[in-house]
Amino acid sequence: MRSLYALRYIYLLVALAGLIVLPMLTSGYVVYLANLLLTFTVMCLGMHLVIGECGQFSLAQAAFYGIGIYASGLCSTHLGWPFPLSMLVSGLVAGVVGLAIGFFALRMRDIYLALATFAFGEAMQWVFLNWKDVTGGPNGLRIAPARLLNWEIISDKDAYPVVLISAMVMIALTILIARSRLGRSFRAVRESEVAAQAMGIDIRGAKLAAFGLSAFFAGVAGGMFALYSTFIHPDSLGFSTTILVLTMVVVGGLGSIGGAVGGAIVFGLISELLRQAPSFQEIAYGLILVLFMMYAPKGLFAFIGETFSRLKHG
Amino acid sequence: MDFDLFLLFAQQGLASGVVVGSVYALLALAIVMIFKTSEVPNFAQGEVFMASGYLALFLLVFQGAAVWFTIPFTLVASFIAAALFRRGVLTQVAKASGSPVNLVIATLGLSYILKGLVRRTGFGDTPRSFPSLVPTDSIMIGQASVTKLDIAIFLTAVSVMALVFWMFAYTRTGRAMRAVGMNPKAAQLMGVNLEKIHMLIWGLSGVVSAIAALLISPKILMTAEMGAIVTMAFAAAIVGGFTSLPGAVVGGFIIGIVENFVGLFISSRAIAVAPFAAIMLVLIVRPQGLFGGKFAIKKV
Repeated sequence: MRSLYALRYIYLLVALAGLIVLPMLTSGYVVYLANLLLTFTVMCLGMHLVIGECGQFSLAQAAFYGIGIYASGLCSTHLGWPFPLSMLVSGLVAGVVGLAIGFFALRMRDIYLALATFAFGEAMQWVFLNWKDVTGGPNGLRIAPARLLNWEIISDKDAYPVVLISAMVMIALTILIARSRLGRSFRAVRESEVAAQAMGIDIRGAKLAAFGLSAFFAGVAGGMFALYSTFIHPDSLGFSTTILVLTMVVVGGLGSIGGAVGGAIVFGLISELLRQAPSFQEIAYGLILVLFMMYAPKGLFAFIGETFSRLKHG
Repeated sequence: MDFDLFLLFAQQGLASGVVVGSVYALLALAIVMIFKTSEVPNFAQGEVFMASGYLALFLLVFQGAAVWFTIPFTLVASFIAAALFRRGVLTQVAKASGSPVNLVIATLGLSYILKGLVRRTGFGDTPRSFPSLVPTDSIMIGQASVTKLDIAIFLTAVSVMALVFWMFAYTRTGRAMRAVGMNPKAAQLMGVNLEKIHMLIWGLSGVVSAIAALLISPKILMTAEMGAIVTMAFAAAIVGGFTSLPGAVVGGFIIGIVENFVGLFISSRAIAVAPFAAIMLVLIVRPQGLFGGKFAIKKV
């Protein structure tokens, strides 16, 4: 068992080393893709916290992501704030909006959170499209290059180290949350609300915290996107982005941090390939969601592991 | 706005609202039916509605089939498809993990599959218009102008609702469905075949959605995105308390009327925000909905 853990750390170190040298070896599109995948990793971590850890639904990840992008874009474009500050602001704004919705949606049935966020996602897309003074409406919003003191981020390569560090920080944060008292209470609520309540856990508080954190993560992801992107249009902030994130988490495996990260990267690459055939994209996402729920509810990696050990041990 | 104009708008909003509201009510009924028996909000209800609308359009317009064939065929196909999804997919999902979260994800998957399939056929690329089976000349009710089609929509929807209520209240199957909604285990012990009841409920909700599609399609331009009106139906179901069938119907009418009032008095562009606003308003003011009783935890 010990050697297995050691092996895991070696894999992680190799992966990290690969991520660090990546921009030196490649250029242009690959770095852009790496930025995008790391951004989606953070979105997946948010989705993981609410659905994987706590068993609640948030169907407005794309809307919170959008709130983060616009908040960060506006802070750096109009106010000229340094990017760490505008990223933090984008996370906080999304988190606060999430808490406000969750506060009311969680008063009754759990499922109201899913329904309220579903409707919120559509309402927000309308707001992004129509609040022309702030979001540029259907013309989209040009985002000024992010800056810190005299350093200005003008290319994907410049942004990459910041994006990578942010993603690492968010992964570390997720692990910390999962290991904390709060994370344990999330899982207790997921497994049995009645038992959790009997243990003295404030179940509504736990659900609200999980949902607020997921909105915060999506907002930070939006802030990351604003680092390397110069333009945002409401079309990319619709329900299909939420479904993309959900599919990533499902492919990686509901309920594991490694799954959320692995799913974001593996399925992010698949969806980049599917871009060539947009008419198959929806069918592919749908089939993946259904088939995984039917035959591999713990995700791709657990499925492969189980199949292997079955083959090995007969 | 002077008072006469206000009165005119109010009457028109009420009349049009009741018409679309009856369609929302049907969809909300289909959603609540499934939720009551399996605690799963079916996120694919809008796409079931959309796909059956397209099936009817395909038969009627592209194949030149007769009306007497198209309507029953669409309804039967929707029944079978929805029942098979329950039997073939959801049963396996429940077996694989048993968590309601996974069932909901499977319905989201279905919604994407249906949307993608309709787009693949090529009919979903451009907005299509569905031929009206009823003349569309208008009639005045008070100061509101409605078409004969509107009246046909309303009357059909109300009779379907009456039929559904009669079935739940007086037939053996309906009683079995209600029993499963109250306590599946006890119902099973009384000899109810759970699997069969779930299939019937899904099939029935498919038929009700198909009827909603046949009714509203002549009034709107059909696109692969038309399933988005399910947000209105969800809002209607929440207004009604989400577990009450009469609540779903009343909620549907309320949402329909509110939507029209928002369109007439505020702006037709604000309608996209109306369902979210309605849901939040209900959750803030009366979270149990109009007809929802006190919420009690079922499972221990």
